[in-house]
Amino acid sequence: MHNAPPGRRRPTPAAGVPLIDGIDKVTGRARYTADLEHRGALVGRILRSPVGHGEILRLDVTRARRLEGVVAVVTGEDCRHTYGVLPVAMNEYPLARGKVRYRGEPVAAVAAIDAETAARALALIELEVRELPAHYDTASARAPGAVLLHEDRPGNIERAVHHVFGDPAAGFATADLVREACIDCAEVNHAQIEPHAALAEYDPQTARLTMQSVSQVTFYLHLMLARCLQMEESRIRVIKPFVGGGFGARVEALNFEIVTAMLARAAEGRVLMELTREETFITHRARPQTSVRIKLGLTRDGRLTACECEVVQRGGAYAGYGIITILYAGALLHGLYDIPAVKYDGYRVYTNLPPCGAMRGHGSVDTRHAFEVLLDRMARELGLDPFAVRRRNLLVAPTRTLNELAVNSYGLADCLDRVEEASGWRGRRGHLPRGKGLGMACSHYVSGAAKPIHWTGEPHAVVNLKLDWDGSVTALTGAADIGQGSSTMVAIAVAETLGVPIERIRVVAGDSATTPKDNGAYSSRITFMVGNAAIDAARRLKKLLIAAAAHKLGEDPENLDCLGGLFGSTRATQTTLSFADAAKAALVNEGTLTVKGTFTCPPEAQGGKHKGGAVGSTMGFSYGAQVVEVSVDEATGRIVVERVWIALDCGFAINPLAVRGQIEGSVWMGMGQALMEETRYLDGMPAHASLLEYHVPTSVDSPPIEAYIVESIDPNGPFGAKETSEGALAGFAPALIAAVADALDVDLDQLPATPDRVMDALVARRRRQRLQHQPAGDAK
Amino acid sequence: MTAPLPPFRVLRPQAIEAAVAAGAAPGGARYLAGGTDLLVNLRRGLLAPAVLIDLGGIAEFADIRCTDQRTRIGSGVTLARLATDPAVGARHPALRAAAVAVAAPGHRNLATIGGNLCADTRCIYYNQSEWWRRANGICLKSGGEICHVAPEGKRCHAAFSGDLAPALIALDAVAEIAGPGGRRRIACADLYAEDGRAHLQLGGADLITAIELPAEPVRSGYLKERVRQAFDFPLAGVAVALATETGRLSMLRVAITGTNSRPFLVENTAALLGRAVDEELLGQLDKLVQKQVRPMRTTLTPAGYRRIVAAALARRLLASLGASAAASVA
Repeated sequence: MHNAPPGRRRPTPAAGVPLIDGIDKVTGRARYTADLEHRGALVGRILRSPVGHGEILRLDVTRARRLEGVVAVVTGEDCRHTYGVLPVAMNEYPLARGKVRYRGEPVAAVAAIDAETAARALALIELEVRELPAHYDTASARAPGAVLLHEDRPGNIERAVHHVFGDPAAGFATADLVREACIDCAEVNHAQIEPHAALAEYDPQTARLTMQSVSQVTFYLHLMLARCLQMEESRIRVIKPFVGGGFGARVEALNFEIVTAMLARAAEGRVLMELTREETFITHRARPQTSVRIKLGLTRDGRLTACECEVVQRGGAYAGYGIITILYAGALLHGLYDIPAVKYDGYRVYTNLPPCGAMRGHGSVDTRHAFEVLLDRMARELGLDPFAVRRRNLLVAPTRTLNELAVNSYGLADCLDRVEEASGWRGRRGHLPRGKGLGMACSHYVSGAAKPIHWTGEPHAVVNLKLDWDGSVTALTGAADIGQGSSTMVAIAVAETLGVPIERIRVVAGDSATTPKDNGAYSSRITFMVGNAAIDAARRLKKLLIAAAAHKLGEDPENLDCLGGLFGSTRATQTTLSFADAAKAALVNEGTLTVKGTFTCPPEAQGGKHKGGAVGSTMGFSYGAQVVEVSVDEATGRIVVERVWIALDCGFAINPLAVRGQIEGSVWMGMGQALMEETRYLDGMPAHASLLEYHVPTSVDSPPIEAYIVESIDPNGPFGAKETSEGALAGFAPALIAAVADALDVDLDQLPATPDRVMDALVARRRRQRLQHQPAGDAK
Repeated sequence: MTAPLPPFRVLRPQAIEAAVAAGAAPGGARYLAGGTDLLVNLRRGLLAPAVLIDLGGIAEFADIRCTDQRTRIGSGVTLARLATDPAVGARHPALRAAAVAVAAPGHRNLATIGGNLCADTRCIYYNQSEWWRRANGICLKSGGEICHVAPEGKRCHAAFSGDLAPALIALDAVAEIAGPGGRRRIACADLYAEDGRAHLQLGGADLITAIELPAEPVRSGYLKERVRQAFDFPLAGVAVALATETGRLSMLRVAITGTNSRPFLVENTAALLGRAVDEELLGQLDKLVQKQVRPMRTTLTPAGYRRIVAAALARRLLASLGASAAASVA
């Protein structure tokens, strides 16, 4: 059990509080987008390209339009404006124009009175495409003579990044051991449980659009709706209902959301668009297939001397988040260990597949995997303990990395101690029976991007608090609670700061008509940024309340505080004032009070001056270390994860219950990627696009996870807190691969480590061993 | 959204004869038991029968009866019940193990033994949405001209993926069929043909009414390999039943699912009889299995792995059942 740091009180009870919307969810009261009242709404459906790459020669919707019951049909002709998450790389249309670039790309859409009519209408649309050669892998897309997906991107390279910090050649020269590895990580998908859906209503009388969708960042959606529909922002209202998971899938505005709005305007009414699971997979925007070539230098005693890393990401057909992902993959080589020199070359490649995007651990996961796997192999070669190697390379906070990332708090050493002890590492490693093994790895992640994409000069977060005559405090935030518990975090931050029970706080989130703009749920920014803004707002409100209470009680405001919902003197007097009475007093001459709190990242936290230097910059990194124990069946290649020990430095656990949930979720998602999750395309057709073929682990596959919270108390975090939802993910896969190596002395270079790949590695090992036992002349 | 079901009528006969009569009516009808296979396929547009005949109203389908001679299991008995019935578990461990290995608890509460035996064959090119199959070029099984798994060949290679069939084949079970011509009995091994498009040797109106297993005790087991440990079809599934006399094999039946268009009994195991279960014997069974399975590219997992793992499972089962036989002799 950890204790609250001095001056910081735990919410009651100390173990944390259940999510404030938890009861709605478990009782089924919570309404997700597809559950919203949609009587009378038209049914939207999308026609998708059957080919991977081609020119649209003819798209005739006449017969579909004429079908009885069809109210609107839209095509690329109805939107000439591109959209995209990055202002510098918007090269996608909501409905294809001129060309189609992946199988499943939206081409046209209909709104009809029911699903059957909509399906019949789609079948009546005539699409003629002249096929072009399609590139389904990066090698083919980069080959000389490859057909370009986008004319302005030679070699199909969306972005090449070349960064050198320190002197890598000198670093490798001082190393006692230099090794290289080529690691391949399959593309994975968020596989959030709620399929995509949107409900749009256009009122022709007022020319206003109301959009309810599964968004993680309603602000981005709002911007893109205005851009693509050429509407004034003020005429659009975006509401986020309950959202059944995001993991990055819903950060960008998505094509179906804009298409739904287009249909609603064309139909002058309400349109409900529910995507199938297959369409949800095709919408994609997840972690790309990534090939990593990594080279590390180590001294005999385990000190890192240099790192060289080349990353090739198969980005899919459009830009999306690609530039950020390829920059993250290099930037977050830094910030975990002290490395004197780092060279990074990254290539984001266009291919004729659904566009990739952000996914939990954005950009960092596959490079971290390769780095940790190679570090583990080198430690074994040098006869060093993997924990000792990590301890040899720790940072000392506060510091700045070579690429100008600020590290203000650093609990990695404590994390290492925790899991080393809990797992019984020292007594057990090397003493397990054949087929069983222990492995470990570390990881980290940002607490919000210090420089947001749409940099406007506004604060990074704003929270409004409304205090009314009834004594209720309503927190208004644009932060999107997508199941991670951000609304509960806001309630705790406000309640703790005011000194009132959490029940007094009501949180209203994610409605552009009432809540302040927020940059939304991405890059683990909400606790750090919105949490700080909530505390700031609560402090301002408390000041007003204390002034009113002091007046009423005839006390000096300096001596007053609010504890447990009662205002009283911090000295010995017995006079107290209830919160409701203090609120009434504060409203005299003022009426309903609304105060605002903000948070802004200072410019010095916003990264280096080099190109792309803002990516990876953050106010605080979370740090994690984990140990994975496996059993491997040599006859079938099956890996069973027996147990996981994970320690995460989240700065301070504002809600320990939710923190544990997020740590377990990250570990579990890392386990899925490590063991079985993989998107698979057959000539560009998504063969994995169901929850049967896309294997997420079930409860039967899930091991006990022992999560430990480490609190380094970040100097800038709210109550000292940092992010907690992503940092533990990237460490799982390398710890698993290390455990398999420990169990059977096989090196796995591919993720996921499915039974067939393990078998291939075992066969290769046997062949290697046979060759080693043959006379030297026999082996080539 | 979940893709809408095609329109159909539902009939709920209360007796077997009425069900068979409805099944023989023109226009296309399908029997519906638990629906865990059929409804998914309907939603994907893989078939569109005009009539579904719900068998849930036929009382005798839900019976399990154990006599000294045999175990009789009504075709409507759910997998959840097979997995927990003490008599079935004691007499026929392979059947119990196979039932537990199917999908997840929710499916097992609905799915039936008859439905599992009649499950459609599966292929990564076939079990996809209508958009997918059209975009990719309709395959042989969907009514097209070509099999994407083996474009040179003339037949469909979709793999049978039911878990119960190999257990029942290894246990020498017999299926009782009611059809337009009356009732008949077929060995479970003979229910199937090696053709992914027409793997069931049953007429459209034929209905499996019950399964009968001999009661004499044999050692049996079922092992299944899959990507994840629940909610997944077999990459390969192997059932073994054996008997020993003074430590030597006196009977051996090995049946396999997931690798071919039919579940099948491994042939030429007679050569293994009369011998003790040792490494050499296990190696021979390994070879027999590797030679007889025909995995094709019907799953995302490579076919070569399915071949190796089928043999590994057979070997493991024979070793453990043989060892427990030896232990009981000692």
